[in-house]
Amino acid sequence: MNDFNDTTDHEAKADLIEIAAYKYKEGRLTRRGFLSVMAALGVLPALGSKAMAQAKEIVVVNWGGRASEVLQEVLCDTYTAETGIPVIVDGSGPSGGKIRAMVESGAVVWDLCDSGMGTALILTEQGMIQPIDYSIVDKDKVLPAAVYENAVGNYVYSYVLAANPKLLGGNVPQNWEDVWNVKDFPGMRTFRKSVRGMLESATMAQGVPMAEVYDALGTDDGIKAAIDKFRQLRENIIVWGSGSSSQNLFLQEEVAIGNIWSTRAHLLKDQMDEGTFTASFDGGVLAPGVWVVPKNNPAGSEEVMKFIAHGQNPELQVKWLEMIGSGPANPQAAALVPPELQKWNPSSPENLATQIFYNDEWYAKNQIAAEEMYIDALIN
Amino acid sequence: MKTSGFRIFFMTGAWMVLAFLLLPILVVVPVSLTDTSYIGLPKEGLSLQHYAAYFQDPRWLSATWASIWIGGVVALCATVLGTAFAIGCWFLSDRASTVARWILITPILVPPVVQSLGFYRFWVTLGLIDTNFGVILAHTLLALPYVSISVFAALANLDRRIPQAARSLGASVWQTVRAVVLPAAMPGMVTGGIFAFIVSFDEIVGVLFITVRNVSTLPKKIWEGIQEDIDPTIASVATMLVMLTLVVTAITIWRGRTNA
Amino acid sequence: MSRLSDSYRYWFLVLPALTIMIVFYIWPLLGIWQISLTEPKAGIENYTRMFDSNAVTTSFILTFRIAIKTTIGCLILGYIVAYVISNFARRAKPLMIALVLLPFWVSVLIRSFSWIVLLGRSGIVNDTLIGAGVIDSPLRLMHNEFGVVLAMIHVMLPFAVLPMMANMRGISGAYVDAARGLGASEFTAFRKVYFPQTMPGVMSGALLVFVLSLGFYITPALLGGGRVLMISEYITYQIQEFLNWGLGSALSVALLVATAIVILIAARFVNLRSALLERGS
Repeated sequence: MNDFNDTTDHEAKADLIEIAAYKYKEGRLTRRGFLSVMAALGVLPALGSKAMAQAKEIVVVNWGGRASEVLQEVLCDTYTAETGIPVIVDGSGPSGGKIRAMVESGAVVWDLCDSGMGTALILTEQGMIQPIDYSIVDKDKVLPAAVYENAVGNYVYSYVLAANPKLLGGNVPQNWEDVWNVKDFPGMRTFRKSVRGMLESATMAQGVPMAEVYDALGTDDGIKAAIDKFRQLRENIIVWGSGSSSQNLFLQEEVAIGNIWSTRAHLLKDQMDEGTFTASFDGGVLAPGVWVVPKNNPAGSEEVMKFIAHGQNPELQVKWLEMIGSGPANPQAAALVPPELQKWNPSSPENLATQIFYNDEWYAKNQIAAEEMYIDALIN
Repeated sequence: MKTSGFRIFFMTGAWMVLAFLLLPILVVVPVSLTDTSYIGLPKEGLSLQHYAAYFQDPRWLSATWASIWIGGVVALCATVLGTAFAIGCWFLSDRASTVARWILITPILVPPVVQSLGFYRFWVTLGLIDTNFGVILAHTLLALPYVSISVFAALANLDRRIPQAARSLGASVWQTVRAVVLPAAMPGMVTGGIFAFIVSFDEIVGVLFITVRNVSTLPKKIWEGIQEDIDPTIASVATMLVMLTLVVTAITIWRGRTNA
Repeated sequence: MSRLSDSYRYWFLVLPALTIMIVFYIWPLLGIWQISLTEPKAGIENYTRMFDSNAVTTSFILTFRIAIKTTIGCLILGYIVAYVISNFARRAKPLMIALVLLPFWVSVLIRSFSWIVLLGRSGIVNDTLIGAGVIDSPLRLMHNEFGVVLAMIHVMLPFAVLPMMANMRGISGAYVDAARGLGASEFTAFRKVYFPQTMPGVMSGALLVFVLSLGFYITPALLGGGRVLMISEYITYQIQEFLNWGLGSALSVALLVATAIVILIAARFVNLRSALLERGS
């Protein structure tokens, strides 16, 4: 099965499952809602037969948990209300391997999958997914960088610079160079256990302008330089392996600064005491989730494209941001975001201007080798 | 009793080490009673809110129940299989059976992560991932060594001539085992069974690999709790488990004292 | 009545447990060997990568270093306790044994959790020290090797104490009495007569603690902060983050081989049979 290396960042998606559990505990998700999520997770076996029996029905697949519930409520139920076509959410996680297995065996039960560009690149190469029909799906309603031939952006999230002003005596780092300045900004930092979303910040910390980051990382020297920055900082680093541990490290005051997901920062802003948490999209890395459509999907291409187009509705995307913290892929949605959430929207014009786009092609080429060097730099 | 420097050194040292062993574990008690919503010692007063949180959360309760019944099944299976094994080996007492015994204790020596990888790949092939049966099977394998060692230790006190005599008097193997060997093995079976339960009840690494969403045991819930939402509810679970262990330990020591 | 047919019946008792152990435990472990040689491509590529990798070497060194520190710590502390329980304690003996057994029976997960509560930046130790004015800013007790070793000593200590106690139980006090009678001081009698007799127990305990520490996952994973990366965690990391079964399996094989080598070396000093096969509770 694993004769390719899937560099899609699945954890960001699976991370949403944990956010769901947290929200349930907080009482922001009813027991019934939580149980329906659990039902959604166990749906696939029954779904298989159901989806193949009923032609006019769309099956959308994502990574489960709260995200499934949000998807159901925000996009699917609204589509059904408009068109009468039932849309079901399956939360079992559309990994590249599963999609490939389905298409190759001819028993495709999924219509639309929430995936990442890493997977999409591979699936395209293998001929497993369909081109997006841009006569139905509107190119202008997606951030230009998230428009691909065989995939289209559905939502976005970012890697942001988070800090705890209280632990820093009010002196908050303004950019990644500051983060590497341990003298003026003392304290522990947290970075991801993997290079994903991290090397960019190390490159910017050397003074490389945002626009040139991936150029710099395109060379072996550039990668080494970024890795060396981590070697320098390592005594002050605690790594986070999961979204919730990045959140915990801040909650427990174990770290003063961190490079974490915007979705977690979104939660922390409410959880942390007044004046103890800031997050900045300056020098952030914006990453999109994408829709992919498996070949020979049961509901047919046209219907699925219509559903994707429906999901481009800016109001729906804003609702998505409010409910779960992932940003809209539609640039027009930024204007509709309520003022207090503006600065937390990864794709607001202000935030877009200060971020770079996660370069999946770079990761497909370089991630494996870079990971090795990264661990070495951290533990040696 | 002379109080030489030598004695004092050792006595104080020993008590200090014992305190070192005990006190960190006891730290969960005050934390479980904290009135704050985050981990720490109580600020203004004691509160049972985190115990309430545990008892009101269906996921904690179902995970606890899962661990209990899975542990029970594992204890049963491991005890039956392990006792039969030990008795058979005890009778045979030849090279081959010694090899068999070495094979049976490999789970003690193999690193948990490595064996879990093994389980994972094979369980995927067998379709046992994320099933209760898959967990029971894996845990039984991990518990077998303890049962077999335990029963073998109990049988060490059994005079071989007794079953020999029974056999020569015409008793079948099964009758001999039932009448003579099993009673001798009983203390070992009980200890082994308890060990098997504890091994399954506390097992975490295997569970992390071979379960996904459907099966949730108490250790898994605690692990996830520590990674995710490190809140004092975990401390209340920990306290209850520590208290339980304390009671069991006290009973064991007490019985040991009155028997000795 | 023939012995031979009896044998069959005894093997009949032995086979169920043995079979499932071989089929469901040993066989999958062999499968790991196979994976290391066949994924992602057939050949020894995973092993060459492993030997070339700096990160792997560092992790192995770190693992052995921590295992050694843990073993030494456990032996010293454990010996003191085992000695006192076996020789000095009278009425307190059951209590002392209980204090050794209790942590032994509390799960590793909970014991590790206790250490997280104690050693964190805003954990109990730091809070107490700051509150008492002993220090100004919190000490870094966790997410580093210190915290990991400390917690591992705590977790492994009973594994050192119990074999040593079992061994000491069998030591007759006659020799020490004789030495004392001949005029030796308490310390000399201990050093020259008693201590050497406890060597087998010490070696058993050392072997057990060392082997268990090598493969340990839970405590270092929870307390290491991602930078104290012992081999078990490295393996998990490769598998769960990158689905790199080839490398993960190769590392597992390496760990198994290292463990086996340690046991074989120890076999010269320890009676493995009595240490491992016949351990009582």
